[in-house]
Amino acid sequence: MVTNATDWSERSLDLSRLLSRASLGDRAAFGTLYERTSAHLYAVVLRINRDRAQAEDILQEVYVNVWRAASSFDAAQSQPLTWLTRIARNRAIDSLRRDRTQPQIQSLGTSAGGTDPEDDSVYDTVADSAPGPLDLLSRASDARSLDECMEQLSALQRQSVALAFFHGLSHAEIAEQLRQPLGTVKSWVRRALQTLKDCLQGAVQRDAARAGD
Amino acid sequence: MDYGRPALADALAVEYVLGTLRGGARRRFETLLPAHATLRAATQAWQDRLLPLSVAVDPVPPPPHVWQKISARLDGATPAASTTAEPGGAWNRLSFWRGLTAFAGVAVLGLAALLANPRAVPPPIVVVLAATGAQAGTAAAPSIVASISGDGNTLVTRPIVPVAAGADRSLELWAVPTQGPARSLGILAGGSGTVALRGNVMAGVDTLAVTLEPPGGSPTGLPTGPIVYAGKFSL
Repeated sequence: MVTNATDWSERSLDLSRLLSRASLGDRAAFGTLYERTSAHLYAVVLRINRDRAQAEDILQEVYVNVWRAASSFDAAQSQPLTWLTRIARNRAIDSLRRDRTQPQIQSLGTSAGGTDPEDDSVYDTVADSAPGPLDLLSRASDARSLDECMEQLSALQRQSVALAFFHGLSHAEIAEQLRQPLGTVKSWVRRALQTLKDCLQGAVQRDAARAGD
Repeated sequence: MDYGRPALADALAVEYVLGTLRGGARRRFETLLPAHATLRAATQAWQDRLLPLSVAVDPVPPPPHVWQKISARLDGATPAASTTAEPGGAWNRLSFWRGLTAFAGVAVLGLAALLANPRAVPPPIVVVLAATGAQAGTAAAPSIVASISGDGNTLVTRPIVPVAAGADRSLELWAVPTQGPARSLGILAGGSGTVALRGNVMAGVDTLAVTLEPPGGSPTGLPTGPIVYAGKFSL
């Protein structure tokens, strides 16, 4: 396993300190923050936008933004890596919005009609050595002890959620990828997330009850 | 749509965080966020649930030139300069607003008189909210400027002096009608906000007020804390 939940929380305090120093204009602290987080954010961006040149530009925008907005980070409200990931994901998703209107990637879009079933699938265009979205989900669930919650989802529900979350696919793109009707995919995703939410809330309540003993 | 409805807020927030909310809908959602506590809370909850899934992604070190470019762009820009003062010209200059309020008295300005073209879209209405704590005899300090768009659909606020509620409080903006209870227009983070004015939320309203509320806004839907800024106007 590459990362685990303990690393995640241990890093938080450290990253919070670096962010608050950066907000005061400390460039060295910002450099350290970049060293410690850029490989993670680059990977997150690269999964959503697989064009390396664009992903590099997005990463650049993300960190310029982080430098400018560092003072708005509130450690009481969110974990620093979550905050950074949110900024990176939003930039990457926005880049798709612009990009997918361009002709060369239309086969990924919603224009179902002329699509050859043998066209490169999204999986094929992801680097072969990279773990698939389902591997990622199971690793992440190790990290958060979510096995139980993830098990409550059907394989197709899990796959739909993973394609949306890790690869930035829209409902229509997932429907095309899995060759399922759009309405079906939408309801899988909706039900999957509801299940996840209920299950996570249950887990939190059990933890709280245990802590109260 | 009533974005205060928890079920709707939750449905939009999950799509936003998952990434399936796209294009115009995504941008609209982002403009609504600053002013809607329910949407923000739902979004935060889904971020807490889903974003940690990202830990599973194998890190990929970016090429060295990315940092070089970032570093070059930061030269000459400090965080303080860029967060406290947007390049907004007169809009952000305190002296400009002081002069304006001194002139306007009640602090109401229809900019129509400044526009030569009578067929233009109705001008925005600018309301200056002043701090309420001033002693008798001294002028109340103008603190927040609110601009209601000419079509009456949008209200935008900007602080003209640093405005903060403290870590454990939120600033909530209210439309106060001449009769009846105040109507919440949402939370102002640092005095800034964009509010979509829906239905007849501004009907009979002659005052905008900002109160100090518990984090996330008044739990009752009515003001519970002291009024810290207020401004009168007429539509």
